[in-house]
Amino acid sequence: MTVPKLEFPPFRLPPQSEALRAEVREFLAQTLPNIKTEDRFATWTTRSPEFSRALGARGWIGITWPKKYGGSERSFLDRFVVTEELLGNGAPAGAHWVADRQSGQLLLKFGSEAQREEILPRITRGECYFSIGMSEPDSGSDLASVRTRAEPVGDGFRVNGTKIWTSGAHRNHYCIALVRTSGQHGDRHKGLSQILVDLKTPGVTIRPVINLAGRHEWNEVTFTDAFIPKDCLIGNEGDGWKQVTSELAFERAGPERFLQNFHVLGELVRVLGRHPSKRVAAILGRLVARLWTLRQMAVALAGMLQDGKSPVIEAALVKDLGTIYQQDLPEIARVLAESDATDEDLLADFLDIAQYSTMIAPSFTIQGGTTQVLRGMVARGLGLR
Amino acid sequence: MDRESREMLLETAHRFFGDKCGREVVNGVEKDQWPAELWAGIEELGLTLVAVPEEQGGVGGTLEDMLALVRVAGAHAVPVPLAETALAGMLVAGAGGSPGDGPVTLTLGALVLKDGRLTGKVDRVPFATVARRFVAVVDDGDTPKVVVVDAAQATVVAAQSHAGEPYGTVRFEGAECAFVGASPVGAARAYELAALTRTLQMAGAAETVLSTAVTYCQERVQFGRAISTFQAIQHLLAELASYVAAVIAAAEAAARDAQEGGLADGGSFSIAAAKSQASEFAHRIAAISHQCMGAMGFTHEHILHHYTRRLWVWRRDFGSETFWGEKIGTAYAAAGPKALWTLMTASRYAA
Repeated sequence: MTVPKLEFPPFRLPPQSEALRAEVREFLAQTLPNIKTEDRFATWTTRSPEFSRALGARGWIGITWPKKYGGSERSFLDRFVVTEELLGNGAPAGAHWVADRQSGQLLLKFGSEAQREEILPRITRGECYFSIGMSEPDSGSDLASVRTRAEPVGDGFRVNGTKIWTSGAHRNHYCIALVRTSGQHGDRHKGLSQILVDLKTPGVTIRPVINLAGRHEWNEVTFTDAFIPKDCLIGNEGDGWKQVTSELAFERAGPERFLQNFHVLGELVRVLGRHPSKRVAAILGRLVARLWTLRQMAVALAGMLQDGKSPVIEAALVKDLGTIYQQDLPEIARVLAESDATDEDLLADFLDIAQYSTMIAPSFTIQGGTTQVLRGMVARGLGLR
Repeated sequence: MDRESREMLLETAHRFFGDKCGREVVNGVEKDQWPAELWAGIEELGLTLVAVPEEQGGVGGTLEDMLALVRVAGAHAVPVPLAETALAGMLVAGAGGSPGDGPVTLTLGALVLKDGRLTGKVDRVPFATVARRFVAVVDDGDTPKVVVVDAAQATVVAAQSHAGEPYGTVRFEGAECAFVGASPVGAARAYELAALTRTLQMAGAAETVLSTAVTYCQERVQFGRAISTFQAIQHLLAELASYVAAVIAAAEAAARDAQEGGLADGGSFSIAAAKSQASEFAHRIAAISHQCMGAMGFTHEHILHHYTRRLWVWRRDFGSETFWGEKIGTAYAAAGPKALWTLMTASRYAA
């Protein structure tokens, strides 16, 4: 029996992408000093509409999309570079992140011409923000079991049900919801559709769900006889499962799955000073080596995407490795800092930063597909199921 | 070597090792039986001379071609000094010497060259007792030299590696050199290149560990079904696959960087990172594969240990994750927090 190979052929980002990197760095060097330090610790969950608009003005949101929708028609590799620079430099890109990463991409692929014309240019200007409407109180990893129902009525749908863990719904403009438009709850993948929901729609109630760190990112979004016009259906009725799967691939493949708490590594270097002990330097170097490997794998993934491949299993594998790295990082960093740091004030600050990252860390291996769901996908890729 | 020629070479090597490097051959080496037929075939195919220029009697391949070859050798646990001889041949040829034939190994360590004679001691030299010649790179002031010493000129104390290969301590006491030439690389770089060849061998061994474990679990039936159908086993194998993929990706990226950056110092940082990464994950790769294969994988009869024991030895050869991690950590700390991201994206030690 031959075992399928999961290879990440080395890929080199082309000169035009590296040239773009230099431009992005210059832009960030000018823009970021005005951003509060604590807001730079959560990049893609920290919102700054002002920053998003400035980034949009440079043409770096929806960068791969057609020009007629406000895009820049640049490559996925250019998009990769912009994304990793935002993360590596701790830019507060949270407001537009989901719209750029997956919602706009989904509308471009499956949306109607009217939807694209109305929404995509606003996203690229950094003015229009999206939430993800997948999970429900009774549907987490088992997404096909969603219960929210959109019943056809007249020239639209009457929607009833509840979405949860809806990040940013209290501030965003839209949510793309996965709903049942026909059949029964037990029909699984059949009869699901995606609809574009204006979060100001009457009958849509948004209630905060505070996370363990005391932050309000999540919400519970309840639909009570909310009327959604027919032209808000995305793609074909009944194609929701196929579409949402493609959306999830965009959600998983990005460098945010190993760079989300990159600042911890930088802060560790700061607290250790220029000359750490050999023992501590060795462990710091190993952390850098793991991150370097993850980045090589992510660049390879970007190369596969650019070649028109669909590296779904490979993306799942990188997310698994990357999120576990992110959980290890603050723990290892904490021990290194405690054993080597000499400046007590710096150490106290660092331990607060590491502790905050530790508190957020459980979410890394849950959001965007749990480790266990991902391992199931990799097992399938290995031919085991 | 163009892409097609390389693919052909690798395919030929893969088939040859499949034929001539079975369980008995690998086990035989552990009992001090030199696999003469395997070695003769390797030389006949020109594998030891892959990175020696054609005008010096070699195959004319690049460093990257050689690294691709040793990955295949690692995937077959080839128990002879192919990697060492191939790298030594490249260095000797680069210094204007003739690589010669027969098994050769690398003695990379604190050695002193004085009046054409070599002095010093190197521990854990791979294949020390079977090598005909020892090749060293000595930083002779600012002009590093490649030095070749016949085995008869050195004292060798055998110390079998934990993978059963004939390692040992080599001592030179004013040993007469068979060849001294201006080296294309310094001593530290030679050590890096040796670490890089081991990293590629580890990538090869890791991929065989994965395919062995997956195949075993698909065949092994317990509770009335193949154990690969149990979710607990599937998750272990998926985790194993992630570590194996990481080691391969790191090794291949370092090989590319070393090739593109040039022999003198190409990919220095990437090599350090890749060897650190491979050495660090060797533990989990061995642990998970053995867990999946139960008592059977722990026997000497099964081939799994050909690979897991080599991973444990190779992670220590030419610098462990502690050795290379310290180099990276020291450089990154010295560069300071602001340089971190720039260094990472440039795959470099210093901006």
